[in-house]
Amino acid sequence: MAKAELKTKQKTEVEDSSSLKGTLASVFLLGAFLIVTWVGVYYLFVDRF
Amino acid sequence: MHMHKFEKIWLTFGISCLVIFLAVVGVSAFYLGNKPPSCLTTVNPEKVDQTKPFNKPGLHKVDGKDWDYELVYVASAFSYNPAKVEVPLGAKVKVIATTKDVIHGFEMAGTNINMMLEPGYVSEYTTTFDKAGEYLIVCNEYCGAGHHLMSSMIEVVK
Repeated sequence: MAKAELKTKQKTEVEDSSSLKGTLASVFLLGAFLIVTWVGVYYLFVDRF
Repeated sequence: MHMHKFEKIWLTFGISCLVIFLAVVGVSAFYLGNKPPSCLTTVNPEKVDQTKPFNKPGLHKVDGKDWDYELVYVASAFSYNPAKVEVPLGAKVKVIATTKDVIHGFEMAGTNINMMLEPGYVSEYTTTFDKAGEYLIVCNEYCGAGHHLMSSMIEVVK
């Protein structure tokens, strides 16, 4: 008789996806880029007459 | 509602950036009074040469105003009048410009002076010329076959 597959005791390993470290890092990388370019353009505007 | 700690951090960061950037624009417009160069002043484009101040293009000293000089420019295909001006260093100048025919640009390369000149409208920009040197004025709105030849020169001298 074929074994019913439901009865296997093997557990599927679920990766812990709750870590947001990478997301935080990429958000701040993008944020830093936006701030640096914004401040750069603003400095140009203030410096020129 | 449950929020991850990091989500709170980047939401605060993003919203504060937005508030700061918009506040800078707001202060510039409503406190410092910065506005677009086209100030809704109108002029009859067919009578520019007879209309003050455009009947005398060039640099004029003025008294009793917030600025020391008025620099009047008339643009037409494909030149600026005057073609060359000397401005004393440190002078607060109001640049007043208009066009007699089609839309022209008025960009003083390397400065914040960058206006669109529309027929029938006067564009103006007030600033202090605090860096000596030669500044090229170019047309940056395509105005016809001679567009690339259209230029003028401002020399800021001590």
